[in-house]
Amino acid sequence: MAIPDYSTGEGQVLARLREARELFGRSLHIRTIDTGSCAVCESELRLLLAPHYDLHRLGLFFTPSPRHADILAVTGPAVRAMDVALHKTYEAMPDPKVVLAVGACPLGGVYQEDGFVHGNLDQVLPVDVFVPGCPPSPLALLHGLLVAVGRLSERVGEMSFVAQAGGDR
Amino acid sequence: MNTGTQATSASPGVVGGGETAGFGLRVPATEAWGSDVSEAQVETVVHELSGGGRLADFFGSVEDEQLVLRLVYGFEPGGGYRIVRWPAAAEYPALSEIAPAAFVEECEIYEQFGARPAGGRPLNRLVVPPHAGRDFPRLGRAPAREPGPVHAPHYVSGEAIEYPFGPVRAVAQESLYVGLVTSGEEVIDLYLLQWHKHRGLERRLQGLDPQRALFLVERAEGLSAVGNSWAFCRAVEAIVGIDVADSVDRTRGVALELERLYNHAAAVAALAQSTGLSVGQAQAEIALESFLRLNAATFGHRYLFGVLAVGGATRAPDAERLRTELPRAMGELRRVVKALKSTNSFVDRLEACGIVPPDVARRLGLVGPVARGSGQDLDCRRDHPFGPYLVHPSEVPVRQDGDVLARMEVMVEEAEQAAALVNDLVAAGTGVGVSPASAFEAGSALGWCESPRGESLLWLALDGEGKIRRARLRPGSVRNWRAFDDAARSRNVFTDVPIIEASFWLTVAGFAR
Repeated sequence: MAIPDYSTGEGQVLARLREARELFGRSLHIRTIDTGSCAVCESELRLLLAPHYDLHRLGLFFTPSPRHADILAVTGPAVRAMDVALHKTYEAMPDPKVVLAVGACPLGGVYQEDGFVHGNLDQVLPVDVFVPGCPPSPLALLHGLLVAVGRLSERVGEMSFVAQAGGDR
Repeated sequence: MNTGTQATSASPGVVGGGETAGFGLRVPATEAWGSDVSEAQVETVVHELSGGGRLADFFGSVEDEQLVLRLVYGFEPGGGYRIVRWPAAAEYPALSEIAPAAFVEECEIYEQFGARPAGGRPLNRLVVPPHAGRDFPRLGRAPAREPGPVHAPHYVSGEAIEYPFGPVRAVAQESLYVGLVTSGEEVIDLYLLQWHKHRGLERRLQGLDPQRALFLVERAEGLSAVGNSWAFCRAVEAIVGIDVADSVDRTRGVALELERLYNHAAAVAALAQSTGLSVGQAQAEIALESFLRLNAATFGHRYLFGVLAVGGATRAPDAERLRTELPRAMGELRRVVKALKSTNSFVDRLEACGIVPPDVARRLGLVGPVARGSGQDLDCRRDHPFGPYLVHPSEVPVRQDGDVLARMEVMVEEAEQAAALVNDLVAAGTGVGVSPASAFEAGSALGWCESPRGESLLWLALDGEGKIRRARLRPGSVRNWRAFDDAARSRNVFTDVPIIEASFWLTVAGFAR
């Protein structure tokens, strides 16, 4: 789990981004999933495509298919009713993949664990990056995405790319 | 002055009698009155009230281990709200046969309290997931049998298929399952499953302090945070006797109108997106982002969370920023609306698309821009005025066509009026401050507010310690989703569905809450 380091200098962020662009051929894809949000995090995520933020200029894209996705951006307090859909989406994503928890809900800041929700996304999925905020502004989301890109490039470095017996990695 | 609500005592028989003869419509404007009836009288009473009133809500509450059902009727314009309550048995008269608007609530009461309408009509599943057991947290007893499938039984002959879509849908859309029955292009039938997002908010609110509960009420439907929480605050203030200063109420009004502005701008952006107009979408999003930044500049939060408090408002708007930046944002919105409305390929997609006929809108008890686009002249800022709207009235735009274009025109006109209202309210002076409660006693009250999605109702009961005994949240989304399948079926094709969804501009969060 990594919390965005807001002290990261712009140069470092850009260097990391360049590295990720090389690794992913300027085509890094994000799938979003809502696990019981109040609809505001969705609004901020949509605005990443708006001219003010323009996610595409960074080589990041949203994709409707989890099979094309590298990053899973999760909103909401991990409602139990979404467990199946959440796991299917996560499993459908190819390795390496990272999970980005968007907002206060998946951090456990709004709902306590009970019969309705897990209350904290970490209990159901291995979260790599938490983006705090209720909601996190588009700029905070961009920062969180760049941190996630860093995690992804580390993970690619760890991969052997040689099929192992009995494993699909 | 907080003249909008009147608390009704929790003890029976204080207001009104049990006699149906007492159900004349001479209810003072801007007040909510309650009456007790017996189960035997309910059908007669519903007949009588449905004649001149609009069924606004229907919900249950467990009081001393007894299920009590309440009907809320709105009398427009200026007739106030009327609450009727009766202790219900496991089976109560089927009210949806008299007032069809009650059907969704009948399903909800069955799911949450186990009581069902007489007659054995199949009930739909709303927010309790199908895999939930009997120990799934509910507001009351679990029903004896699980509700049936969500859509009414229907038969499709020929080459139709059911296309399952969801709950994970397009990017950054809320979770929603759409069952599309189609012959390939035409939408023959459509049903929705909305239980994926149920967070049990009404149950969660029980036992909470109102000020703490406000945090969750704002997050029930974040895009209507001000509308819903203002209704909540007004209910609390009516019970515990808080008078909010006029200037502070104007601050709330500014927040509510700013919420309307960004929501309507977002709806225009969604309409442009759903019709595939990227440039229009981008321009509408520029306006949307300007409104959100204006929110942040004037109130410190892009979605206006935390502006309202029980008893007042925590932040006053920055009048200078509003004066300079609101006209600019409005200019951006006007520019894109003008461009879109002179784009034939856009207007063609909107005209005669997703029609909700006026009689359907009335029968289903719709609210907000969806109702106003379908000929329903409703707006609780005018019909049940409260706070700043008593002295700053706004005109209510109404269209008769009931199609997507009519809804968009209503929203655009409302945005103009909202901007004018913001200027009026700021000119009249806005204040900040939280008034303390004057008396703590058990009681119940109805609060209401016109959120961007329409009338938001909040019925609240507090116990002797000032904790919430029952909070009934009824955002506008709860009413308006019920017309979505009708709208989608009306001679539309597959690709019209996202356009219709954008024009409704509802949230699943508000429905499933």
